[in-house]
Amino acid sequence: MANPSAVCNGHLHHHHHQKQNNLLKSGISKKNGITKGMKKNGVSNGTVYKKTFIEHFEQAPMYVAVFTVVGFAVGTIFGYLRDFMRAWGLEKRHIAAEREQQKDFVPLYQDFENFYTRNLYLRIRDNWNRPICSVPGPQFDLMERVTDDYNWTFRFTGRTIKNVINMGSYNYLGFAETDVNALKTVTIELEKYGTGVCSTRQEMGTLDKHVELEKLVATFLGVEDAMVFGMGFATNSMNIPALVGKGCLILSDELNHTSLVLGARLSGATIRIFKHNNMQSLEKLLRDAIIYGQPRTHRAWRKIIILVEGIYSMEGSIVRLPEIVSLKNKYKAYLYLDEAHSIGAVGATGRGVVEYFGMSPDDVDVLMGTFTKSFGAAGGYIAGKKGLVDFLRTHSHSAVYATSMCPPVAEQIIRAMKCLMGLDGTTQGLQRVRQLEKNTRYFRRKLHEMGFIIYGNDDSPVVPLLLYMPGKIGAFARRMLEKNIGVVVVGFPATPITESRARFCVSAAHTREMLDTVLNALDELGDFLHLKYSRYSKSAHPELYEESRLELED
Amino acid sequence: MNVGTAHSEVNPNTRVMNSRGIWLSYVLGIGLLHIVLLSIPFFSVPVVWTLTNIIHNLSMYIFLHTVKGTPFETPDQGKARLLTHWEQMDYGVQFTASRKFLTIMPIVLYFLTSFYTKYDRIHFIINTISLMSVLIPKLPQLHGVRIFGINKY
Repeated sequence: MANPSAVCNGHLHHHHHQKQNNLLKSGISKKNGITKGMKKNGVSNGTVYKKTFIEHFEQAPMYVAVFTVVGFAVGTIFGYLRDFMRAWGLEKRHIAAEREQQKDFVPLYQDFENFYTRNLYLRIRDNWNRPICSVPGPQFDLMERVTDDYNWTFRFTGRTIKNVINMGSYNYLGFAETDVNALKTVTIELEKYGTGVCSTRQEMGTLDKHVELEKLVATFLGVEDAMVFGMGFATNSMNIPALVGKGCLILSDELNHTSLVLGARLSGATIRIFKHNNMQSLEKLLRDAIIYGQPRTHRAWRKIIILVEGIYSMEGSIVRLPEIVSLKNKYKAYLYLDEAHSIGAVGATGRGVVEYFGMSPDDVDVLMGTFTKSFGAAGGYIAGKKGLVDFLRTHSHSAVYATSMCPPVAEQIIRAMKCLMGLDGTTQGLQRVRQLEKNTRYFRRKLHEMGFIIYGNDDSPVVPLLLYMPGKIGAFARRMLEKNIGVVVVGFPATPITESRARFCVSAAHTREMLDTVLNALDELGDFLHLKYSRYSKSAHPELYEESRLELED
Repeated sequence: MNVGTAHSEVNPNTRVMNSRGIWLSYVLGIGLLHIVLLSIPFFSVPVVWTLTNIIHNLSMYIFLHTVKGTPFETPDQGKARLLTHWEQMDYGVQFTASRKFLTIMPIVLYFLTSFYTKYDRIHFIINTISLMSVLIPKLPQLHGVRIFGINKY
């Protein structure tokens, strides 16, 4: 490292010291919660990463954590107080109670299990389950909903709030649209096939549309064959039990989605969890599994499969695919990659994390993804070698018991995929991918400059903004709605107790003006609610800083 | 708003005491309690310290060793419904950092209280009984034990 702050091509680069892992020469350095995988002096020297991999997981100052805990404690104490008042009749009971005749029966539910829902979730319940009444494009309409008794019941006033900017829908490429020209083929197919399939894949539910779609998905991903299913969640939960069973080992990431966890538990295999995106943890688990074998008999595992996701939707982090592939090749394990959020959203032409890292789809054994996020449809796919997909066609629970995807939805995916691949004769697909990339970078950069704490990879369109305190969850969501922006907020227990967040999903359909509106609103709200906790915000005017450095170096 | 939607932690209650800021908030909470008690004009200093010790131990006993289950529904079909929070911590693994911290805190408070009450006999008896009531349930031998069936269901 000759010059720690070399200026290359007019951009200021900070080359951190490469910390060599004794296991993998990936050059990952971690400083203050910011992880970077760097190339030395711009030339790849045998590292598995072909471009920089920058992820941020900054920790807020300690006083923020203390206030968060105090907030939850105060909420809990008031919860106990209100429960006491409700039990002794000092306050009206809105919740369902056992009938008079059944009061001496053993209770159906333990009421402590609803403590959190009753006393903390309910108070800010108006920020979730908001009914929308238009297509979830970059802007949408909300039904106006008010409550007279502090969120116990809601009523609709009949009015709609129009043109709320949508920062919560997984509409990464903007295919959730109602433009008649775009949906022309979908309407034709709807008139030809109707809406329902009325059968499972193995009986009479395999249409020529499905065959066409599967061929297209296989071509899109660059694999031999693919199979599509009607529901994205069910793709995971119904197919993992078909692939692994008792005597197999599943190594699953800490932050895997419920569908993967459910599929893993349904399969009956042994599940071991490794720390999120932590390759040392994964390697240790792999080594222990191979050295010690199954728990009591010490026989070899029948199969070892690693379950990871492309983009983790709560953290916004991208999987470290090159390292996982080298680990899997070294220890002979299988890899199942769930690209629910990353297919269409990352990669130079939208083909997911495999393309993002410049790897070949042959490196991953099972490629799984959903069509709900970037393609504006519903359903999921599993792709890979022909043998694997043929096996799933016969053995998957979904193929035998669940109805197949309905034809208009299949046509929507076909037209979206053709648009992405450029087969419809336009460059619209590529433009959408580029626009998403630009929007993502712009949004993240601006949020960093403003001083918010953002989690995740710099290239991921999922942007979690940390709110920390439980009171701010409700305040943030409500005030954003007043400014006509719809956001998704999430708190404990879906996230760790001190890390409540708001999650933004950037879309290719967002224009620069919409993003600027959102950013200005966030700026105001950040000052008002004191959300700008970051201690490492970049300067808002890097060009000026750069010029002065140039002069000094002269 | 579901437990376990975004992570595979089946019971988040097990990790609450390891979260960032909890230990500091706990100590600050005891400090706040002490200051509030000190502000009451007709309590002498030894009485205030004994009261702090008693209230702290009583709250700890209630929240860690009496209240059972989780305040939210967990996806593991209620494995933790009959377990107190102490038993749920770290899924029952003994001698973790949080368990040691929560064992040492009442002992430290006991030392301070004994000093400030000048080792008076009555205060000593009260404080020692209170300390025992909060230390004995933390022994690993008493994991899951319900004496005389109290608090079993």
